[in-house]
Amino acid sequence: MSKLDNIPVRHQPTEAAGRKRTNPLAHVFDELVKFCQSRSMFMLHYCTGCGAIELPPAMTSRFDMERLGIQPMVTPRQADILLITGYVSIKTLKRIILTYEQMQSPKYVIGICSCTVNGGMYWQSYATAKVLKDYLPVDVYIAGCMPRPEAVISGMRELMSDIKSGRAQNWKRYYENYDHYLGNQQKLFGEDWQTPTDIIAEARHYGLMTDRTLGEHTALLEKHQRPLEALEMRLSAREKQKT
Amino acid sequence: MSKDLNIWLDDLLGDIENIQFKRKSSRRVRVDVGSEALPALLELLQGRASYVHLSAISCVDWIEDEEFELVYHVWSYETRSLVSAHTRIPREPGVYLSIYDLYQPAAFFERDIHEMFGVFFEGSPDMEKFILTEWDGPPPMRKEFDSEAFVNQHFEWEQYHPQWLKDLEEEGGGVTTRPEDIRL
Repeated sequence: MSKLDNIPVRHQPTEAAGRKRTNPLAHVFDELVKFCQSRSMFMLHYCTGCGAIELPPAMTSRFDMERLGIQPMVTPRQADILLITGYVSIKTLKRIILTYEQMQSPKYVIGICSCTVNGGMYWQSYATAKVLKDYLPVDVYIAGCMPRPEAVISGMRELMSDIKSGRAQNWKRYYENYDHYLGNQQKLFGEDWQTPTDIIAEARHYGLMTDRTLGEHTALLEKHQRPLEALEMRLSAREKQKT
Repeated sequence: MSKDLNIWLDDLLGDIENIQFKRKSSRRVRVDVGSEALPALLELLQGRASYVHLSAISCVDWIEDEEFELVYHVWSYETRSLVSAHTRIPREPGVYLSIYDLYQPAAFFERDIHEMFGVFFEGSPDMEKFILTEWDGPPPMRKEFDSEAFVNQHFEWEQYHPQWLKDLEEEGGGVTTRPEDIRL
């Protein structure tokens, strides 16, 4: 290693241009909101792969995440953090994207274990997706196979400090670059891939439309988009014959 | 009691022609049987020798012999022993009889083997997709399916090779064994 300076660090965000605040207390309020957000994080109980085994010790009395304000939450609509703990099979990735799109902004994704970074030990498998950040914007990666609870908590603290300083803005990137993410999803799931959530309308609502939100992939989506129907539930082929 | 049953079973299996029988331990027996006789053997084991529990059906792809090996593991609660009945079927066309009428749990294993190896079981109640519902490629557990080639064709890799790592490598450090060097 020649110089420490050569190691890349995430660059600081530039201040929003042209924003003029007249109320001197507005920043105080923003700071307070950010502080409160960072100290009250609800993480979704949706665990994939083997890294989930490190979360019970991290959550329970020994390492006790709750002292940092991190609590488990059972529904995606009330959660802030989506934890991806380990390998993601292609079928699971579909569910993860459905879950992620249902979460309320601001939302954060943490990729735990090597498998979410680059396939990990399942890099040769036909069934697992390799690079998670191609399909979802990931805020923090916690590498390791698997990371110890200390590492999980240190990653959580990293995210907390990012939220406090306003750097954790990756959820906006999903709206701003929706065409890119949708293109990668379509490559894996086929051209007729669609989710129940209308991301383009949401991007318009949040004012996060950029020239990268719409593109060839979203055009393909609109071409294939079907109105949602209730899913057919059946247990075997025999039931179908009866009806 | 159970010892007597084991001796009785050994005698019985030893008398049948055209099967190879090998007792591995007091609790395990390996039987090699032709594919035409396997249902009869299982019927005998279930009906006359208390092997009522089908633990699993497993499949091995012997691509050089152009054969699939099917292994039926049946367990007896009386003798507390496991009989593994091995049989070989030709790889093409890969069709075999279902034993659903003998052991109902077989439907589950046969459906799984059909999905993973492409072996069709005649008489099985349901040969539709099971776990790989969103998979339309070839059966992935067959030996001719190259998983690595499939992965390289369908996925991108994380390109992470920053300057500081290059500097490290110039000095003789970094990743010394690349993945392509340790491939089997």
